[in-house]
Amino acid sequence: MRKTKAPAVIATFVVCFLFWLLLTWSVKPQELIAGAVVSLAAALFSARFFIHEKAFWFANPAKLFTGLFYWVCVFPGELIKANLHMAKLVLGGCKNLKPGIVKIPSSLESDYGRAALANSITLTPGTITMEIVEEEGKPWYYVHWIEAESDGEEAGEAIKGRMEKWIRRFWEK
Amino acid sequence: MNTDLIVFAVLFGALAAVAMIRLVKGPTGADRMVAGDVADTLICCAMILFALYSGRGIYLDIAIIGAMLGIVDTMLVGRFLEKGRREKHADVAEDSQ
Amino acid sequence: MPMWLKILSDVLIACGAFFALVGVLGILRMPDTFCRMQASTCVSTLGVIGVALGGLLHAIFAMGSASTAVKIAVICLLILITNPVGSHAIAKGAYKAGIRPETPMETDDLGRDNE
Repeated sequence: MRKTKAPAVIATFVVCFLFWLLLTWSVKPQELIAGAVVSLAAALFSARFFIHEKAFWFANPAKLFTGLFYWVCVFPGELIKANLHMAKLVLGGCKNLKPGIVKIPSSLESDYGRAALANSITLTPGTITMEIVEEEGKPWYYVHWIEAESDGEEAGEAIKGRMEKWIRRFWEK
Repeated sequence: MNTDLIVFAVLFGALAAVAMIRLVKGPTGADRMVAGDVADTLICCAMILFALYSGRGIYLDIAIIGAMLGIVDTMLVGRFLEKGRREKHADVAEDSQ
Repeated sequence: MPMWLKILSDVLIACGAFFALVGVLGILRMPDTFCRMQASTCVSTLGVIGVALGGLLHAIFAMGSASTAVKIAVICLLILITNPVGSHAIAKGAYKAGIRPETPMETDDLGRDNE
């Protein structure tokens, strides 16, 4: 079993307490104290399941701005493009589909970065990450793609697009 | 005065009912679970719109809990399909196919 | 609430309704299990984002209620964060449980590597 670390507990406590404030929506002292006690207990018991690496890796204004730019400007662009393509496919009668599972390489190193890329791929309609394996120190993604036209590096370029570059800027050191 | 909001809320509810067709018909368990997940998301949207229409915040709290618990049943069925069927229920699965 | 904001909010909600319709139609019409999952992603991305943005405009400018706005934003974020985890688990579980499309897939790297 992993050990509970102080930064992980603080991060979990802040998230729990914000959620408490959201649900109660009042700043009376008794509510604040009860929320703090409950959040601290929950954080002490569950922090070791949630946070394994550095807890405050994003405490850097330039990095935070990069991440915000990715989630507000770059990613929604890809999302709208993929959604319109999916709408065209569905309203055109679901013809000319070529479903297949392709294996694409990646070069991200931290766990956060890998999870973020897998979630970004899954959130764009038309591609779903099915499994990640690690070979030769590099992650390989098995992706179900609704129009599997190519394989290997070429498919990786088509699926990941601009997302991997921005994710590396935000999540890698 | 906010007739448009209630119209959209009813539309989302009707879409959730249409998604139920796949939940009843679906040949495999994964199909049913996907349809249930979509119905859950659509009901959350309908609840947001109805809360705005009626001006009562309690519906938003219910929608938050619905969105949080939607993940739990999906993960449960996913895990069951991945592991439980092979070890414990292998004979049942073979019989049904 | 100014008229153009009202119209903008309605247009955003209508966009969300359109993509929700596309997702539900895709679930009904797509040929196999994995393609249905792909279509269902439409509902939980642009469908939810459209409704949440339209609802945010309405909550801020017509109702003027901060708690409503924050709660709508949190619902949208929760669905966007949790949905990929769920579809990842279902897709992996369905493949491991032996569910395959009726017409075999042309490229199937996962099946090839597991043999």
